[in-house]
Amino acid sequence: MFSITQRFQTLSNTALTYAIYVAVAVVATFYYQLYFDGASSVPATVDNISIKSHFKSSRSFGSMNKKPKENTKLTFDIDADLSPLFNWNTKQVFVYLTAEYPGKNSQASNKVTYWDKIVTSKEDANLELKNQRSKYNVWDVEKTFRGREAVVRLEWNIQPHIGPLVWGSTVSNATIVYPDSKVGGK
Amino acid sequence: MMHPRQLRQQIHQGLNFGLVLASAFMFWKFLSVLTSSESPVVVVLSGSMEPAFQRGDVLFLYNRDNYVDVGDIVVYQVKDKSIPIVHRVMNEHHIEYTTSAQQQQQQQQQAKSSGSEYSPLVHTSGGKQLLLTKGDNNPVNDLGLYGRNQGYLNRDDDILGVVKGYVPFVGYITILITENVYLKYAMIGFMAISALLSNEE
Repeated sequence: MFSITQRFQTLSNTALTYAIYVAVAVVATFYYQLYFDGASSVPATVDNISIKSHFKSSRSFGSMNKKPKENTKLTFDIDADLSPLFNWNTKQVFVYLTAEYPGKNSQASNKVTYWDKIVTSKEDANLELKNQRSKYNVWDVEKTFRGREAVVRLEWNIQPHIGPLVWGSTVSNATIVYPDSKVGGK
Repeated sequence: MMHPRQLRQQIHQGLNFGLVLASAFMFWKFLSVLTSSESPVVVVLSGSMEPAFQRGDVLFLYNRDNYVDVGDIVVYQVKDKSIPIVHRVMNEHHIEYTTSAQQQQQQQQQAKSSGSEYSPLVHTSGGKQLLLTKGDNNPVNDLGLYGRNQGYLNRDDDILGVVKGYVPFVGYITILITENVYLKYAMIGFMAISALLSNEE
């Protein structure tokens, strides 16, 4: 009546079913905890932002066919407490500083990343950075940034131990204005 | 000569096996349609997104959003390269080409002169989204992984899906099977033997 394969099947089926129940419970409490801790309005300020602009003509700086391309870097202060994002299902938080600015017409838009950081524990979740330099050189699809205005935000992504990934933005909101550079000049 | 009853039993078993295969295939294709992604579930093969994603972790993809956002983790496949890559979107440029009013009029007149009652879709705009990606654990962006003279990925052409869900480790069995020939043979042998044993009952 009961063969080894049948026993094995029943056992693995039961194990799988209960594993799914546990995962669903973990995800439910994860969302509840995020809501309860106020993850949607993480307090943060980004200020003291200054922009540096250079023209580069190598491929690794976004230039094609040696045509000069404007590269920008930022220096900034960040004060943020990401601890609401940490609970028992948080494996790590990826926090990144973005700038969003308009494109050539009203439907077009651009969004770029200047800096990011992987935070793996609640102890490191309090970010207090002074005169932090951006990690990346950033270029636009166009030759220059044409003096456009950009909105700077500190955003985050929670990567869980199991279940859905969660994205959000802190309440930080700053604006910068890119220099109106001409190709070849500074 | 085989006894007819035995033959019937064997055909029955064969059909059952076919049914299992067919329903697995149907489920996979159903997921594909649901998520609009040709491979809605992928296994992580490299460590470029560590420590969040490790080898053998399973990712669930979704591909129905027209545009992806900075910070999204996408799976992309560059033309002429066979391996799909799981990396994060750093920069995003959304470009819209609007056609001029004159071109729109021309299109409308063409639609009228063709005499159909239903006015065909008049495209007032077309657009594309360009993306620059990077692995969280890599020191530099992915420019070196793209094709020659390719400065960006194209959302419509290169992206297989956006990562929405995560289950750790359970995909490691596929890595073991694809990278270890002996294990593959052992698995096939085990299945064959268990099929034979169940025959005897």
